Amino acid sequence: MKRFNNKLLMIILLIISGYGIISSCTHKDQVLPAAVSTAVKITRGNHIHLPGLTAGDTTQWKFDKVHSAVNWSTPFLEVGADLTGKFNQFGVADLSNNTKLQNYVTAAQPLPDTSWAFYENQPDKTHFAGYVQINQVNTGEPARDGGCLITTLATTKIVPGTQNLTVTNVAQIKTTSVTFDPAGNDYIVVFNFTWQGGLAAPITESITGKLTYVPEAVVPAGTYSDFGLTLAFQINKADFGIVSTETADKIDIVINANFNNK
Amino acid sequence: MNDGFLAYLQQLELIAFFSGYPLVYAISYVIAGNTKIKKSFVSFLIPGLPFSYALLGILYLGLQLKNLYPDYSLANIKSHIQYPYLVIWALLAILFFLPVFRKKNQLTLIHSFAFFALILIDLFKQFSTGNVIVQNDMKVYSFSLLLNCCTLLVLTTIFFFYNFSKKKAKS
Repeated sequence: MKRFNNKLLMIILLIISGYGIISSCTHKDQVLPAAVSTAVKITRGNHIHLPGLTAGDTTQWKFDKVHSAVNWSTPFLEVGADLTGKFNQFGVADLSNNTKLQNYVTAAQPLPDTSWAFYENQPDKTHFAGYVQINQVNTGEPARDGGCLITTLATTKIVPGTQNLTVTNVAQIKTTSVTFDPAGNDYIVVFNFTWQGGLAAPITESITGKLTYVPEAVVPAGTYSDFGLTLAFQINKADFGIVSTETADKIDIVINANFNNK
Repeated sequence: MNDGFLAYLQQLELIAFFSGYPLVYAISYVIAGNTKIKKSFVSFLIPGLPFSYALLGILYLGLQLKNLYPDYSLANIKSHIQYPYLVIWALLAILFFLPVFRKKNQLTLIHSFAFFALILIDLFKQFSTGNVIVQNDMKVYSFSLLLNCCTLLVLTTIFFFYNFSKKKAKS
């Protein structure tokens, strides 16, 4: 009797389990969910930023030099960790007209920083030109910056109260094309890089860099807006006649530029 | 306390550990009842049943402790446990290690029916809610059968060899 009860229990449980399996059967293969898209999601706004110098005009964007920087880095002795530095004096002005290449007796940048325009969604209209004063190199070691680096970079020492924009002391960039970066939200920038360095005359190289736009936003104080541009690229110092085993030939340069509409 | 998805996950945990037991129990009795050889391997299935059931209780307790880690405060236990009565009922399975409960195998069957009922409820519910939940339940139920079979077979093997070695030592 007991065995019969266990058999009956087994049969009932098997029937219930079997019913559960049959009723849960969809007669369809389970469709796997679609694979996660690996495509980069690119989103661009329609910001247009144009330069100007009129204080208080919020439609005009001013280059904020105090909060911008031109940084460089290169492996120390070609093998070590990066040696880094920056340039204290630079500007967003087009010096391709050679008449501007001279010494200016002034403490501030002598030329207006207006050689640029940025169109977030129309990169073909975006352009900029700029320069750095080579003798304003700053690695945080005054003896080196005002000493051996001046010789290595084939320029002359800083004259206080003078902005040296002569041909031997400036490295310039000027865009030739700006296009969307297909791999992300950035832009591919092709530009001319002009520098004399250790050569007898300046040469111009076409260099490709990556431009990143940090969209316009109201600053935390809420009184004005700010936007940023970051340009990263690489040069080969040997191409410009700079001979030094202190650093590697390849030098990474990152320009962080901030603009505001104060 | 009953928080939708978390509650459902805890229900699946309970099904995974205990709902396969009734069928394993019934099959074990039928197999053991059919064997004519005393002290054969299958004859150890029946005494192994309450032990295997209590072992499932221990494993379930281990899972709950792992889920609660590292905060074993009462507040965390309260917020984590969605079906407190069912969980306490499940943990009572550990008591089948005690001889007083172990001697009555039917108690393990009655105890486990509470969890088999969870499947039965979902089977009835499918008429109004569709069979997606039953699909899930049946997958977990299959694992439960496997888990119950494994624990029973492991314990039966241990009992069998223990008995065998004891017998050999006597002779």
